[in-house]
Amino acid sequence: MTTIEARSAWRDYLASLHGEPDGVPRIAIAASMTAEPLEPYLGAALLNRQGPSAITFGPFNQLHQICLQPREVLGDDRFDVIALLWRLEDLFPDLLSRSLVSPEAAADLQRQVIRFADAVASLRERFEGTLIVSTPPFPLWPGFGLLDAVQPSAGMAVFQQVLQAWGARLAQVGRVRQLDLHGLMLTTGVRAAHDVRKWQLYRQPYAEGFWLEIGQLLARIITAEKGGAKKCVVLDLDNTLWGGIIGEDGLEGIQLGQDFPGLAYQLFQRYLLCLKNRGVMLAVASRNNADDALEVFDRHDAMVLTRRDIAAFEIHWESKVESIQRVARRLNIGIDSMVFVDDNPKEIAEVAERLPDVTCVLVPEEVAFLPGVLAETGLFDIAEVTDEDRRRTEMITADSMRQQAEESMTEDDFRRSLDLKIRVFAAQRQHLARVTQLINKTNQFNLTTIRRTADQVAQLAADPDAIVLGMDIADRFGEYGLVGVAILRRHGPACVIDTLLMSCRVLGRGAEATFMAMIAEAARALDCVELRGRYVPTPKNGMVAQLYPRFGFALDARTGEWQMDLSRSLLVPDGVDASLDISHSALGVSSPARGA
Amino acid sequence: MAEDSDALIALFAEVLQVQAAELTDDSSPESVRRWDSLGAMALVTAIEERFNVQLSTKQIMKMNTIGRARKALQAMNVRV
Repeated sequence: MTTIEARSAWRDYLASLHGEPDGVPRIAIAASMTAEPLEPYLGAALLNRQGPSAITFGPFNQLHQICLQPREVLGDDRFDVIALLWRLEDLFPDLLSRSLVSPEAAADLQRQVIRFADAVASLRERFEGTLIVSTPPFPLWPGFGLLDAVQPSAGMAVFQQVLQAWGARLAQVGRVRQLDLHGLMLTTGVRAAHDVRKWQLYRQPYAEGFWLEIGQLLARIITAEKGGAKKCVVLDLDNTLWGGIIGEDGLEGIQLGQDFPGLAYQLFQRYLLCLKNRGVMLAVASRNNADDALEVFDRHDAMVLTRRDIAAFEIHWESKVESIQRVARRLNIGIDSMVFVDDNPKEIAEVAERLPDVTCVLVPEEVAFLPGVLAETGLFDIAEVTDEDRRRTEMITADSMRQQAEESMTEDDFRRSLDLKIRVFAAQRQHLARVTQLINKTNQFNLTTIRRTADQVAQLAADPDAIVLGMDIADRFGEYGLVGVAILRRHGPACVIDTLLMSCRVLGRGAEATFMAMIAEAARALDCVELRGRYVPTPKNGMVAQLYPRFGFALDARTGEWQMDLSRSLLVPDGVDASLDISHSALGVSSPARGA
Repeated sequence: MAEDSDALIALFAEVLQVQAAELTDDSSPESVRRWDSLGAMALVTAIEERFNVQLSTKQIMKMNTIGRARKALQAMNVRV
């Protein structure tokens, strides 16, 4: 999209409106500079990605005030998103100049930047919605030029310290999305990003093309917040992962390595590995002899991807449509979360026609563009990468090894052979992203299906009358990671199970029984004498309708709750190594210092 | 107003969100509501993109009527 196309798309949209649009995301932009040119580019990018939005601008250069009194300054607290854009040269112009010659001024600049991050932290507490804050871009400011004839560049040193101080303070705040304005400026170039005339005339520093880029990046961040990122890339092999045809050219003949065109394929593989490492699963769908194709993975020196990086192989002579469907079943994901990459337009056309929900990407005619073909699509944007995301492929591979073992043994033998290690613990800050993810996506093994934002979960974790439990499972095949969540609340002598959920991948191996036993244990540590829980039926959670009676809970007809006396113990199944650690909860119950 | 001047009037009308018929070469920030500093900035962007020119800050500062914008463009051999 060009700047002209974007502005015209946004103008057409605004012209089509009759009055204020209803039910669209409301976005407030506040900036240390004139930022109004951003509106059409952000608006048009969001139209493309998710639909209409209402965009308003806060008053010029009042970021501190907005952080401290958002309602008073923005005049409205019903925003879904607040985005703050700021530059050092707007907030601290004199200090910036003095920092080039005075170490004291440089230190003072850092302190001021941290104080601004403190203000952002207080906005985070006051504002419920998505908060996006830019990094400060490299300043276009006298003396900061990289080409000033001073070596080493004092400006670069000052800037890097500031950038680091800012990032470190913001990381402590948590749940602030970063718009990497500095990174974007690196990509575009400091000179190309600016329009010095408009900066001096209107306090509007950027060239139109750079506003377009900011708008597109901001739209990606806002859209990623809603989820919906693709989960799997299904890859063709010949002329996609390497150049040439393995069946004809052989191991020595295919193009892959450090020289063009092999370099293009190798760089593409490096990008795919990055995707895999943040939770996107890679699969192969190729019409080939499996032995020929797998030999490349096993024996070619220049391969970046190994067999272990691929969650599912479909190498045979059947159709790609069939292969993609099988991969979806095997990995237990929706067809609409898959991206298919192939160099053959006919294959792409067939998949696009028969599986319209799959996103198809054709290998570009210019192979030098292949490494970047997925990078700027935004298809894989996620708001936060959890540990589970990073280890997903390993977990999936462990799953299929488990399946094979399971088929060769009786159920009890299999369970004992697993060496299950189940750790139940009070969730701490580093667990909250994953806990929130599970709370909001688990449908089947979920007793109450209460959804919560990360903020609400954090509040519960800090509540002395509640405890947020996480369950982490590993066995001899590998780790499942954090796969279960329970929230317990103390009501006098009763401990109420507010939330109880588990990923379906771990069921039937003693995880439910162990989790129940640990929950009872935790409730006892809360000095409670009874455990109470509720089953709230939904169209999807029928599988847990009988969970409480199965563990000996009795129905209290008066309240509709299931009840169990804590004088009774629940048993951890045979062969499971279970532990409970709630020393880090807000209760501090098992801390020896308590009550001393 | 010359016939081929419509392009410039049309551009001002589009950016300032008024009917072209409401604008003349004498139109200025005083007579058009949206021709404030944000409007002026948007006009510079639109003119530069539409006619593939780069205006100097001197030209921008003097461009306080449509007629003056026309003169500035004509001086750069743009037929408006």
